[in-house]
Amino acid sequence: MTLLRQTHLLLFKDLLIELRRRDSLLTMFFFGTLLLFVFHFAFDLPPDKIAELAPALLWLAFLFTGTLGLAQLFLAERDNHCLGALLLSPLDRGALFLAKTAFNFILMFLVELVVIPLFWILFNLSAWNLLPQLFLVTLLGTVGFCVLGTITAAITLRARARELLLPLVLFPLMIPVILATIRCMESILRTGDMVEAMPWLRLLIGFDVIFLTIGVLIFDSVIES
Amino acid sequence: MGSWGFVWLAYGIVCGALVLYWWLLKRRYRDAEAELNRLRSLEAAGSHDKR
Amino acid sequence: MVSSTNPAKQRKGILGALASIAVVIGLYWNLVVAPPDAYQGEVQRIMYLHLPSILTAYLSYFLVFIGSGMYLWKREKKDDLLAHAAAELGVLFTALTIVEGSIWGKPTWGVWWTWDARLTLTAILLLIYAGYLMLRSLIDDEQRAASAAAILGIVGFLDIPLIHMSVYWWRTLHQPPSILRPDKKPWENVHPSMLTALAISFAGFLLLYFYLLSLRYRVGEMRQEIKALRLERGL
Repeated sequence: MTLLRQTHLLLFKDLLIELRRRDSLLTMFFFGTLLLFVFHFAFDLPPDKIAELAPALLWLAFLFTGTLGLAQLFLAERDNHCLGALLLSPLDRGALFLAKTAFNFILMFLVELVVIPLFWILFNLSAWNLLPQLFLVTLLGTVGFCVLGTITAAITLRARARELLLPLVLFPLMIPVILATIRCMESILRTGDMVEAMPWLRLLIGFDVIFLTIGVLIFDSVIES
Repeated sequence: MGSWGFVWLAYGIVCGALVLYWWLLKRRYRDAEAELNRLRSLEAAGSHDKR
Repeated sequence: MVSSTNPAKQRKGILGALASIAVVIGLYWNLVVAPPDAYQGEVQRIMYLHLPSILTAYLSYFLVFIGSGMYLWKREKKDDLLAHAAAELGVLFTALTIVEGSIWGKPTWGVWWTWDARLTLTAILLLIYAGYLMLRSLIDDEQRAASAAAILGIVGFLDIPLIHMSVYWWRTLHQPPSILRPDKKPWENVHPSMLTALAISFAGFLLLYFYLLSLRYRVGEMRQEIKALRLERGL
């Protein structure tokens, strides 16, 4: 079975489970929205100032929401001891990595799809025409987050204080993505197009490609039964 | 603080930290060695008993 | 007794002695022989610590990378021992670099901390490898801890160039005019005595580093053996 097909199967399984119970999706969505509310109270600023902070606030919200999602990523496998079964089957570990990454990505994509327009409405922002570009940048950043997040979630799986350790290990590694995404979005908001943001965009794409590849190659060693 | 003050501060902290680390490492080394010797001699005594 | 390690112990002892000599000479040269900088005065002497410190830290992290990679490939304990020892030393030297940088910064820029590229980068490095050490200490199973840490050792190291780029771009594309930052490397119009001081300092740091590394490696090795012996005897 090819890598792609295996990935499909694993992903489908996770999506099916999620579709039935919608635990992760609803929690993440609710949490993301909640953070927006908290930000509104925390940052009591006029709309133009908020516009400057918008990318940063959005990304902070997604970082924390995403971390929530990551905590749930291998939960089902761990709780039901499915991991052992998965490992015994002749599946490529790379496929497991891609499936988990894709699953988390889809969850975050859905959350971002709702939260970004919501943010725009709640904070009375204009520049609605730039949303597609901003969304694209967010997605690229989300890929980076999901890739590193899946690797980190897997290696901290068996650690004590796992919930605290995961962000502790993940966030420093995420700094290029955080910088690139937020500066990109700021640039788009400021200039109206992606020209100035190109270097950051390239860095972001490079990051995604590099760690996606590494993840597939290295995931074999990550999961031990 | 005068110029030399900062220099002494920096050199002092660095030397102090390195010496401290070295001393603590030495202690770990000695403790591990002692424990290892202890276990190895127990091992030797045990295998003698078996014979 | 542990007599089989005597030649190794002797080697360590010689290394330690050499390191001490280099350090003493280095200190003398740094503080006495080298002249003060034309612009920064005496404070510039901190550079003789700062530069070797960060380079040693990078060397250490490279060793973590190699050890991690080898361990994932061959699964030999010695590679994992190297990675762990190098990570610990790396954190030590990175912390020293930050302290030195901060102390150098106070008289030079007037503040104890700025978010300039170099300091920020060093701080991020510290966070990553402190995380490595935390990860190891929080996983109980030896083998799992080694594997998990090895992954982090590889991913972390490969991330470093990307972190470099992003932080440098961030800091140089949007330079607020109020922040004065001596961007030029401090070796323009350099007195040869300064270069010698730097070289001796670097030699001293390297010797000291390898001495400490050999000690730390051995400690890890002994602990492995202790665990194995204890397991055997059901202790």
